[in-house]
Amino acid sequence: MIDTATALLMAAVLAGTPLLLGALGEILTEKSGNLNLGVEGMMFMGAIAGLIGSYSYEQALTAAGFEPSGAISALVALIVSFLAGAFGALIYAFLTITLRANQNVTGLILTIFGTGFGNFFGEYFGLKAGGYVTVSSVTKAAFSPIHFPLLSDIPVLGKLLFQYNWMVYFAVAVALVMFWFFRKSRFGLNLRAVGEDPAAADAAGISVARYRYLATVIGGGICGIGGMYMSMVTTSGVWVHGCVTGYGWLAVALVIFATWSPLRGVLVAVIFGGLMIMRMYITIPGLPAQIYDMVPYLATILVLIITSVRQSKEHAMPAGCGLNYFREDR
Amino acid sequence: MKKKVLALVLALALMLTMLAGCGTPASQEGNTTPEGGTDAGTAITLDTIKVGFVHVSDQSDMGYTYNHDIGTQEMQAALGLRDDQIINKFNIPEGAECAAALQELIDQGCNIIFATSFGFEDYVKEAAAANPDVQFCHATGYQAAGSGLSNFHNYFASVYEARYLAGIAAGLKTETNRLGYVAAFPFAEVISGYTAFYLGAKSVNPDVTMDVMYTNSWNDPTVEAQVAKALIERGCDVISQHSDSTAPATTAEENGVWQVGYNNDMIPAAPDASLISARINWGIYVTEAVQTLLDGGQIPVDWCKGLADGAVYLSPLNAAIAADGTQAAISDAEAKLLSGEVHVFGGPLTGNGVDFDGNPISIDIPAGDYYHEQEEASAPSWGYVVPGCTVIE
Repeated sequence: MIDTATALLMAAVLAGTPLLLGALGEILTEKSGNLNLGVEGMMFMGAIAGLIGSYSYEQALTAAGFEPSGAISALVALIVSFLAGAFGALIYAFLTITLRANQNVTGLILTIFGTGFGNFFGEYFGLKAGGYVTVSSVTKAAFSPIHFPLLSDIPVLGKLLFQYNWMVYFAVAVALVMFWFFRKSRFGLNLRAVGEDPAAADAAGISVARYRYLATVIGGGICGIGGMYMSMVTTSGVWVHGCVTGYGWLAVALVIFATWSPLRGVLVAVIFGGLMIMRMYITIPGLPAQIYDMVPYLATILVLIITSVRQSKEHAMPAGCGLNYFREDR
Repeated sequence: MKKKVLALVLALALMLTMLAGCGTPASQEGNTTPEGGTDAGTAITLDTIKVGFVHVSDQSDMGYTYNHDIGTQEMQAALGLRDDQIINKFNIPEGAECAAALQELIDQGCNIIFATSFGFEDYVKEAAAANPDVQFCHATGYQAAGSGLSNFHNYFASVYEARYLAGIAAGLKTETNRLGYVAAFPFAEVISGYTAFYLGAKSVNPDVTMDVMYTNSWNDPTVEAQVAKALIERGCDVISQHSDSTAPATTAEENGVWQVGYNNDMIPAAPDASLISARINWGIYVTEAVQTLLDGGQIPVDWCKGLADGAVYLSPLNAAIAADGTQAAISDAEAKLLSGEVHVFGGPLTGNGVDFDGNPISIDIPAGDYYHEQEEASAPSWGYVVPGCTVIE
């Protein structure tokens, strides 16, 4: 019983981590007043870029006669996937902030573009490699669960807290930093002002465009890292066609579930992940798998209903989110 | 306002003229084939034949479509067709888009069209009824025999034979005597496959049991990895799959257990885990069907070949990690299957399942008899779960 529970929780954390990263990126973006629905596209771009980054690093080093290092390979994947996601978000930011294009349409287009970008380059490098694009065992090991001396050996607790790959801890760290940023730093407060009421923020001397650009681009980068989780951890550094499909949208749902709070995001990502994989660990006789698959979405709708009934300002979407700001347009 | 409407009408008129201009040569070109066909009856020659394919995915899936496309290339090489005689439609969803893709292939003058995914069948049947001059071949389907159409055919390979042999590698390797199976859907095609795999493992290891878990998707690497992980947590130490991606292989590798693949050699993706894979050689059928059409013969309504003809086979064994004597055991079983001494679904064998309406069904095969899988129809029909297999749902 306790074994099943720990296994379920561990799997829930792993299932929730890419969604958490995607959701954190989107929370940062939406806090600035940009509703970027292109999360899936940016995750796709991050997924392929991270994999190709690691792969190229290994190929280059092996060709030069050196032994590739797992840690550096992981670092390359992290940086390149961040840049790829940020590049996708930059396109979005330019279109919506500078050219004031419709945010919903631009986001949807970014999803389609990113999906094509990921699958195109995945196929291209697959053909070039003559089969699978796959990283070596050194990089695979770098994305495997970490064994902490002593800590990992604590019964139950060690398994629950100290048995994950580094990206899980990285995602939690990002959430903590973001929480601190929104609550305690001047820049974070300014950013929230931009998202709630850009006109007022503008009047107070805050550059709306600069804040929106930065938040959107960095948010996109974090989404890209979430995508890299799919290609480096879920499929262990092998490119699988369409490997992100559907999960970017789950991340968007998670933003609502988390009510735009990074810390609550950590909690609900585990719940969301748990609901996704529950049927594999707990079987209720006679309950079809399709019902289990619906539960995460039902939970999201429930949260939407509860927050809209309570009409709490704190748990609502930033008031300026989805609207482009144009100073002369009043 | 009037000006706007006028501008729109003019723009539309311009577009229509342009389209008509582009369309004329194409439709003339399209007309030549049926005319030629009616004039000479069997005027399809090696030089003029056009072969169309409709695939649900593309080669980059490194699985089902990739494997089928290898068959296309083999046919092209064997018959010496030019590149422009082969028209592929990739990434066609199993919906109305399939009807459109089939129509495009017909318009482009294809004489024979292969549709490779299960969900295409209804559209293929409609197109076959409307185009009696074009041959339609549908993989994994079951409706051709009952359709009464002479130009509609089903084909598949008896991959259960290869899965049985691959099961031997798993049965010899397992230390916990517990196998895990990542299965796509509760369809006969999948159930037949995992039962054969399990019976193969059991033939060399009588104590072995197997847990089966469905992903409810042909290709979703995340769910495949999660299901594989859940099976490993249950104590399974050899994972096999009826799903498209390499995620079960890499998940097995990460957790220090082993894996048996499908459709493609998965050793490059997981060199420390993947033991062997069951594969289909589609080239045999595709070549045979096109050759039959060229010779003016009749393509069989149901085509199914297997181990004996090389239509199914095993990828090379990963000798570095396989148990000692695996290759010998597989070769031995293969010889017995080919000679008819052993049957995959041989009695005594019992099983329980559900039919299309959800009613329980069961089967009891006495010793000496065997279940005639894929002998009358090309589509797998075994839909029973045998003792020792547990479906987790």
